[in-house]
Amino acid sequence: MSVSASALDVLRRNNVNVSGDASGRPIVFAHGFGCSQQMWRDVASGFVTDHRVVLFDHVGAGDSDLSAYDRRKYDSLHGYADDVLEILDALDLRDVVYVGHSVSAMVGVLAATHDPSRFGALVLVGPSPRYLNDVGYVGGFDQADIEAMLDSLDANYLGWSSAMAPVMMGNSERPELADELTTSFCLSDPAIARHFARVTFLSDNRRDLARVTTPTLILQCTDDVIAPLTVGQYVHDSIAGSELVVMSATGHCPNMSDPGQLIAQIRTHLT
Amino acid sequence: MTIPVPHFPAGADDAAGIELFEPSLEDLYEHAPCGYLTTAPNGVVVKVNETFLAWTGYSRDQVVGQPFASLLNVGSQLFYDTRCLPVLRLEGEVREVALVLDRPHGRPLPILVNSIRRAGDDGQPRLVRTAVFDATRRQDYERDLLFARRAAERSEVRVRTLQEAAATFGAAKSEESVTAALAEIACAAFDATCATVMLPVTDSGILRAVAGAAHPVGESVSIDSQRPEAEALRRATVVTISSVDEAERMFPALAEPLHAARLEAMTATPLLADDAPMGVLVCFFGRRRDFEEDELALNRTLARLGTQALQRIRLQEQLEHLALHDKLTGLANRELLQYRLAQALFAAGRHLRPMSVIFLDLDGFKAINDQLGHAAGDAVLVEVSARLRGAVRPSDTIARFGGDEFVVVCEDAAADAAVAVAERIRMAIRQPIAHVPVALPLTASIGVARHRPIGGRIPEPDEVVLQADAAMYQSKESGKDRYTVVDI
Repeated sequence: MSVSASALDVLRRNNVNVSGDASGRPIVFAHGFGCSQQMWRDVASGFVTDHRVVLFDHVGAGDSDLSAYDRRKYDSLHGYADDVLEILDALDLRDVVYVGHSVSAMVGVLAATHDPSRFGALVLVGPSPRYLNDVGYVGGFDQADIEAMLDSLDANYLGWSSAMAPVMMGNSERPELADELTTSFCLSDPAIARHFARVTFLSDNRRDLARVTTPTLILQCTDDVIAPLTVGQYVHDSIAGSELVVMSATGHCPNMSDPGQLIAQIRTHLT
Repeated sequence: MTIPVPHFPAGADDAAGIELFEPSLEDLYEHAPCGYLTTAPNGVVVKVNETFLAWTGYSRDQVVGQPFASLLNVGSQLFYDTRCLPVLRLEGEVREVALVLDRPHGRPLPILVNSIRRAGDDGQPRLVRTAVFDATRRQDYERDLLFARRAAERSEVRVRTLQEAAATFGAAKSEESVTAALAEIACAAFDATCATVMLPVTDSGILRAVAGAAHPVGESVSIDSQRPEAEALRRATVVTISSVDEAERMFPALAEPLHAARLEAMTATPLLADDAPMGVLVCFFGRRRDFEEDELALNRTLARLGTQALQRIRLQEQLEHLALHDKLTGLANRELLQYRLAQALFAAGRHLRPMSVIFLDLDGFKAINDQLGHAAGDAVLVEVSARLRGAVRPSDTIARFGGDEFVVVCEDAAADAAVAVAERIRMAIRQPIAHVPVALPLTASIGVARHRPIGGRIPEPDEVVLQADAAMYQSKESGKDRYTVVDI
């Protein structure tokens, strides 16, 4: 397979890593807000024997190309959805199993409704189409909660710019900082983190759910404050023909806390 | 480096001294100068020390058996679940994480947290130990710092945007460059998906997108329509749509096209010149947006700067036109004629292409002016200009040379083409004019100077006009209402 120059740019921009069985059904893992493709480490390993496994970082996260972060493009989840479509295009994947965690569940919904042709299945892990409560809808959070979250982000990044900015700008005088950065999977530029947080937690994609035509599995955790059970039920009710499974895994990150259960659920759904 | 040796009371031996001050490891744990928690891998607290309970006011039962995250305020929970836990799992450690604990009574407690993960022999995580430090004081000044930084960032964006706008608009030479820059700068300042500037099309009742990205939901909008752009123009105020839901309520017909274009929100800001709207700046957003007042204020300021630049350019264009055109007839004046003629001669010499200059003087104009008055004379000159415009080719330049003298520059005109123009002019002028009695006939004496360059010296403009003038004079001498051709 030959890959065009622009395809290479896409693969580099999103730090795309492909492994597993090249002839197997492609499975793409998309990480949520706050971390990088590293979150999928223990889940992805469960698919390499019989799937073509694709991992990537959203622009602004992990080892993606930070210079590609265009605030206009990434001011809505559509920007991230376009990147997903470009990755599928660059690798020329068909019948893709797209596994999206947290905000990337909605990114997958937007990508698959914009161009369903390459998608075979959507697996939405802890999805939420809207985090803010609204009339007749419980998202789990008020505007003040989201502002508090942004405060929290900022408070934890107060010292960031002085310590990390030289690394981002390629300061070769302090190579030890560069090492530190590459091992800090979940660090990113605070301005980007704040913007991504806003876009993640203030978006409202409820309308898009009804347009999904790709077979969809919704995996919900027990006691997930970020995506409560009622929200999972809402997503299930809004996507015709979808399947909802509530896992015994707790918290918001079953891909890290209980990878085995996640692998088993996805596999059951695919067979 | 020397290490200070602990000093114990005289008479006691070392071990007894330590016993006295640290009676047991359990006491060290329970009353350590920091809160201390142990959680299972799933985040549930299995052990907590007295210091933590004393600081927070929780009873042991309220903490043990609960997820640690559930003790935090909602903002911290979000941060902890999405950012801290993943790092802790991947790296085995987090340090100096700033969080806020909710307390059963009293104010929330700002804390700093260090956590480490302990794994069993099999490498699987067994438990997480967390030390908790009271960060109340630190948090107070950090918050001040944070608010100051945010305020500084906001004002930096504002200043940068306005500086860029001022510089770009100042350098802009055309209406197109102003509107393009306005759309571009607004787009960058508000992280808009796209932006455009719409201006009214003269006498059509329509607003049309003239700059920026293609208008995603309709290039042109009727000024009377139920659209935010039209409403912003009519009401001379900013109109915003925060979400597709809001569009459904305010502008029902717009909701579906917006969503289909993957857009959620928009702003329409009028360009107000002396309170009279001259256009609209429109920004589109890919997600729902609750517009804040300082954002809208910047929007208005940007629109005002853009408006001023548009006004300046329109004024400049007017001034330029006034400086180069005859006030009465709107034809080119001698200055513009000089410029166009020099250009035409240069182009002709360079490409060796023929060109001509037609000089005409009205016969019988003086009598009209004398008998009917200056106002009637002026009206006749305006009518003559209109007839000249109808007689020449679209690319020709017509200038008013003097009182009743006119010059036409015909570029790229082969010999017979210029003659044809001269004849059309002659025929046009001699037609009767409304309100001018037949007893006062008007005709034209015309001179045509044809120039066929063969290389070498390019003639001076004055020289060519002089030759055409001489030819015109010959027509006058030979009985008027005719043309005379001279080749130079």
